[in-house]
Amino acid sequence: MVGSPVLFIAIPLLAAFLIPLLGFVWKESIRVLPGLVLIYLLALSVSLLGQVMHTGTIVEVIAGWKPPWGIDLVFSPFTGLLTTVMLTLGFIIWIYSYRFKNVEFEEAKKYFILFMMLITGSVGIVLTGDIFNQFVFIEITSISAYALTAFYKGRDSAEASFKYLMIGSLSSMFLLLAIILIYSQTGTLNMADIAVRAHDMKPSFKVMIVIFFLTGLGIEAEIFPLNGWAPDAYSQAPGPIGAAFAGITVKAGVYALIRIIFTLFDVQGTHEFLIVIGLTTLIIAELSAIRQVLLKRMLAYSSIGQMGLVLVAFGLGTREGVFAALFLMVNHAIIKSLLFLSGSYLVYNSTQKFISEASGMGKHLPITSFLFSLGAIAIVGMPPFAGFWSKWSVLSAASDAGMITVIVLILLVSIVEVVYYFRVINQIYFSRKESHIEPKRPTVNALIAMISLGLIILVIGFWPDTITGYLQAAADTLMDKGKYIHDVLSTGQLLIP
Amino acid sequence: MDFGLFDLKIVEYSFFITAVVVILIGLYGALVKRSLIKVVIGLSVFDSGVNLLLISVGYLTSGTAPIYSPGLLKGMPLTLENIKKLSEGMVDPVPQALVLTAIVIGFGVTAVALSLVIRLYRHHKTLNIDEIKNLKW
Repeated sequence: MVGSPVLFIAIPLLAAFLIPLLGFVWKESIRVLPGLVLIYLLALSVSLLGQVMHTGTIVEVIAGWKPPWGIDLVFSPFTGLLTTVMLTLGFIIWIYSYRFKNVEFEEAKKYFILFMMLITGSVGIVLTGDIFNQFVFIEITSISAYALTAFYKGRDSAEASFKYLMIGSLSSMFLLLAIILIYSQTGTLNMADIAVRAHDMKPSFKVMIVIFFLTGLGIEAEIFPLNGWAPDAYSQAPGPIGAAFAGITVKAGVYALIRIIFTLFDVQGTHEFLIVIGLTTLIIAELSAIRQVLLKRMLAYSSIGQMGLVLVAFGLGTREGVFAALFLMVNHAIIKSLLFLSGSYLVYNSTQKFISEASGMGKHLPITSFLFSLGAIAIVGMPPFAGFWSKWSVLSAASDAGMITVIVLILLVSIVEVVYYFRVINQIYFSRKESHIEPKRPTVNALIAMISLGLIILVIGFWPDTITGYLQAAADTLMDKGKYIHDVLSTGQLLIP
Repeated sequence: MDFGLFDLKIVEYSFFITAVVVILIGLYGALVKRSLIKVVIGLSVFDSGVNLLLISVGYLTSGTAPIYSPGLLKGMPLTLENIKKLSEGMVDPVPQALVLTAIVIGFGVTAVALSLVIRLYRHHKTLNIDEIKNLKW
């Protein structure tokens, strides 16, 4: 298949602008076009990923300006894996929301435009090799995320969105400050070139830049003091957008943070800092989750906790740790999306989304309840499912690194996780339905989307070898900083469009 | 003491100092003010401060625009050395390109923020941040 990495950004962006125009000609096209775009990009990304596993990283030079002058896109096993995961989730979320809001044409149009912008931004963050370009993609992602959070007019969504916007725009200014500092010190914006020149930089400047980056990117990656927006945004946004935040945007944020820390600057003590901040995030989020009475807020806190665990695994700094972190990211994207998609049907008809409103749904919505329980069991890490393998690899990586305290804390927090997820399963199956609640049957599209996510969980759970090969290659790529710099700056494979 | 050089240094630093002062004013507005409109104005001022800082990184006192034209050579032959000499007197164009992008992004964020403020006002009939707390802040 002929295709180059630039299509991952160009096509969804073009689709976002074409949707309102095509809507005049054929109304159904606003729903069909995003799906066509996403399935094409998914096929392209799978085939390119298979190609780079054998031939090595593809570096695409935009408009013939070679790095370090122009913008380049890097499709390595690492970035390719994340792109594939994001596009898979994007496609499944599209299936789920195909008939979503089937009455209002205008609303659906806005939804799909913003959704395509969200995909463009997130994939762009992962693929780009230019730090300012990454800032622009982060802003594209954030602005469409603010607008999608405020999608429903009836709820308190504007409040959640404004809160998100305040934190988001302040921290993106810090990101810009960090980029200014880098440019004034190194005179370049290309990531590989910065990584080469960062050696000559004063240590105090390096520390300041890394702190600005942590502040700026921590918001997308849901690091502890900066994640105040997350529970509100997740609970007020539409269900599929909650899944998109957990599966797509947050992953892009974590990617940007990891790229800064692993490739650009090797500041003494950053890895230890990641472990400490990750554990803090994990413990505080899980302890908050157990106190929640609203289903979506509980899922949001659980999502923050999982991101904390990912940071701990990255902070170990070993190859096993990076492998475990990537495994956890992939699993969390799939499982948390399933939980958000099925959970929003369990509490469909209420504005408040109390957990108690899901009582007795096991009898009335058997498939949805079963899939939610599957997701809950998988995410706490019960053996035959996907979550087990990732949590196990985090623990074994921590034990290889000799961090007993980390293992003990992770296991203790897992008990908390089991308690609050099983409380929900208990409500679903062993309580009586509240009489005033009408169960809402999921549409066929939603069922297809949820069942395919469930199947992916089972496949990864029983045959983890299907993806571990890709994860190993991705971990090797991330750890090998010299190869990244060489690949970009030599641009051995010039792919000028 | 070379007063002329001293004077130029003052001019160069004044941009940085002004940028930092503007950033601090913006932060004060965004974090302390209780009216939503003032908060958005604060964000916008913060944005301008960062843009000014970005511009001043590439600024040269008495530099020229980074555009080559044959007239600039003033009869000198077109050699690499002469072009290099010319480029030393030019301001760095990269920060200016970045600032153009950053201004557009800032405009977009401000527009979204103001539209959200309108929604909040219609919903709550107030712009006071303390009275809008259906969700836990």
